[in-house]
Amino acid sequence: MSKTESRADQVSRVLQEIGSETSDDISVREILSLADTMAQSMGGLYRAIEASIHREFSEIASYIEAMKADIAGLQANDLKETHLPTAGRELDAVVEATEAATNSIMECAEAIMCADASDPDAYKATVDEQVMKIFEACSFQDITGQRISKVVETLNMVDARVSRFAARFSVADAEGPASDDEAARAARRKEQMLDGPRTDGINQDAVDDLFSAA
Amino acid sequence: MAVDTAMPILVVDDYKTMIRIIRNLLKQLGFNDVDEATDGAEALQKLRSKQYGLVISDWNMEPMTGYELLKHVRSDDGLSQTPFIMVTAESKTENVIAAKKAGVNNYIVKPFPAATLKAKIDAVFGV
Repeated sequence: MSKTESRADQVSRVLQEIGSETSDDISVREILSLADTMAQSMGGLYRAIEASIHREFSEIASYIEAMKADIAGLQANDLKETHLPTAGRELDAVVEATEAATNSIMECAEAIMCADASDPDAYKATVDEQVMKIFEACSFQDITGQRISKVVETLNMVDARVSRFAARFSVADAEGPASDDEAARAARRKEQMLDGPRTDGINQDAVDDLFSAA
Repeated sequence: MAVDTAMPILVVDDYKTMIRIIRNLLKQLGFNDVDEATDGAEALQKLRSKQYGLVISDWNMEPMTGYELLKHVRSDDGLSQTPFIMVTAESKTENVIAAKKAGVNNYIVKPFPAATLKAKIDAVFGV
């Protein structure tokens, strides 16, 4: 076997000889040489594969590290355990405050409606007292405004963090609802046409036109 | 001919405050026999146990919406002729058309003044 022969040529030649009618002429030495050549070739191949795999795994590890850092940047536990529950409590408080104020105002209005107007002085005193209570009840607007500002701040924070994460990983939205529960709720709302108050809804005049139409 | 102010009216809304507002408006209009229900299912029970002259219902309620209540009422032989006004924040054209198709007698968009409620009640009773 010539030393200048490449490994590929050596392997090819020996394989040809094995396949030829003169295969009886192949020496044990040549077969061992072939085995050695094959082993060296495979060794190189494995070293190349190992290097490639190592490089790819290193890249994946770096990507995972970067992703972990970005997920940590979301501060999901902070949102879940602190900001979102606080925002929920603020909204609950807004609902309670507006309900309480509305009830107070209605009680005052009902008191005025029921007041005996036969005694003008007593009637005026009643009206003045109830009107003052109405003014006091209207102060809920300042407090609820502050509470709602906190909720808006939380929503902006969530928006900023999620947007940063989505942009960093070029995350495309998955199609359809995020869960079966969400899908069921959406289907129910669609079936029952539940949208609640809308800024683009039609007014009473347009409704009346629809009713007067044949 | 004036509307019979002695007729019983059923107000259906899941917000007690809204019920109270409508009840007060009705009182101002002379209607004093007013019952209330906080969702469609409760309203349907009351409608089957007492004869009402008018139903005033919100749309957005659970577990039974006002729209479902309307369809139940219209498909029930004993209740199908009960006048039904929808008072709701659901102000899309599709909602109004769907309610009309389902047999609602009139439709009021929240928030509304007392004059609108009076005008719609009058219209329902042909006054």
